Amino acid sequence: MTPIPVLDLANLPDADVVALAQQGREPAYRELIRRYERPVFSLVYRMVRDRELAEDLTQDTFVKVLTHIEKYRAEFKFSSWLFKIANNVAIDHLRRRQLDTVSMEGSPHATSADIAEATSFELATQTESPLQELEARELGSEIERAISRLRPEYRSCILLRHVEDKSYEEIAATLDLPLGTVKTYIHRARHELRKLLEHVREGGPGPPAEEPA
Amino acid sequence: MQHRHLLPNEIDLLLDEDSGFGVQPLREHVRGCPDCRARLAEAQEVVAALDEVPLFSPPVGLADRVMNQVPVFVPWHVAARDAVIRWTPASPAARALAAALVAVVGSLVTGLTLWIATRGDMFAMFTGLLGEQARSTVTDAVGEVIVAMFGPQVVMAVQQIGPLGIALAGGGFLIASLATVLGLRLIATSSRARS
Repeated sequence: MTPIPVLDLANLPDADVVALAQQGREPAYRELIRRYERPVFSLVYRMVRDRELAEDLTQDTFVKVLTHIEKYRAEFKFSSWLFKIANNVAIDHLRRRQLDTVSMEGSPHATSADIAEATSFELATQTESPLQELEARELGSEIERAISRLRPEYRSCILLRHVEDKSYEEIAATLDLPLGTVKTYIHRARHELRKLLEHVREGGPGPPAEEPA
Repeated sequence: MQHRHLLPNEIDLLLDEDSGFGVQPLREHVRGCPDCRARLAEAQEVVAALDEVPLFSPPVGLADRVMNQVPVFVPWHVAARDAVIRWTPASPAARALAAALVAVVGSLVTGLTLWIATRGDMFAMFTGLLGEQARSTVTDAVGEVIVAMFGPQVVMAVQQIGPLGIALAGGGFLIASLATVLGLRLIATSSRARS
C-alpha cells in the first residue's frame, strides 16, 4: 500500500492550503489555524479587551470559518474573509454588551429620574485578579489605551491597517465598507489617537479613564 | 503649494507613503514649511507607535479545541482518489503484477458478461422458471400460515369479498389498532398525572 503523500504545508500559499482543506485534509485546517491564530486573537482581544472572552471569540471565529470552508471563494483573499468574520464576531459581542450596559442604567421605559434610579444598579467595585492584572499590563501601554478608546469601527480599521498591514482596499473588502469610508475612518482614528496621546508628548497625566465601547 | 498648509488628507497620503500622482509637490512643500513638517512628524509618531503594537499569543491548544468542533468533510472524489493511491503498490514490480492481475480479471469478467449477453433467451427462460418457482413457494407458505391462524372459512370469505373487501378489512384493523394504542397511552398519561 502507498501512503497518501504528505505536503509541506508551511511553504504553500493560503489559496493552496485552503484548497487542501476543502478536500478534507485535516492538516490543512490546522495549518490555517497556525498561520492566523495570533493575528485573529490579537484583533479580537483588542476589540473586546478581555482575554478569556477573546479566546472564546477567536475559537468561534475559526469554527465558523472552517465549518464553512467549502463556501470560500478563491477570488477573495482568505485572510480578508477570516478577518471579516473575526471582526463581525467581535462587533456582535460589543453590541450585545452595549445593550447590557444600557440596561444597567435603569429601565429605558422609565418616565422619571426617580424610576430610572430605582431600576438601575451599580457594579460592585472589584479588586483585580492576577489574570486581570496581566491583561491590564498587556493592554496597558499608552497606545493600547488610546486604541481602546476609539469607536469599534475606527478600531477595526486602524488595527487592520497598522497591525495587520492591510491595504485600504483590503480593509474595505474585509469590513464591507466603501473605500472612501475606510479612508475617513482611518484618518479620524489617527486624528483621535494623536489627541489621546498628546499628553504623552507633553508629559502630562493623561486623559481620564473611560470605559471602552 | 507654498500658499497654504497641507490638508489632513494630504498628511495621510504622506503617512501612507503613497507614491501616486501629486504626492511629490506635497513632499516638497513639507521640506519648506516648518508647520507642516511638525504636523507630519507628530502624525508619524502615532503611526510608528501603531506599527510597533505587538501580536498577542493565543491560548495553547486552540487548534485542538477548534478541530474538536469542526466536522472535516472529505468529498467522495477525493476519498476515491485516496483509496486508489492507498491500494496501489509502492514498488514498480508489484505495480506491474497488480496491473497484470487487474487485466486478467477484467478480461475474464468481460468475456463472461458477453457470453451471458449472447445467450439472453436462455438466461431469461431460466430466470423466469426460477422466479415462478419462488413465487409459488412463497404464496403456498403464506396461504398455509393464514389457514393455520384464521381457519379455512376466513380464507374462503376473504377470497369471496375480493380486493376491496380486503382493503376495507385491513383499514378497519388499522383503525382498531390505532384506537387501542391511543387509549392505552391516554390511560398511562392520566395515571402518571395522578401519581
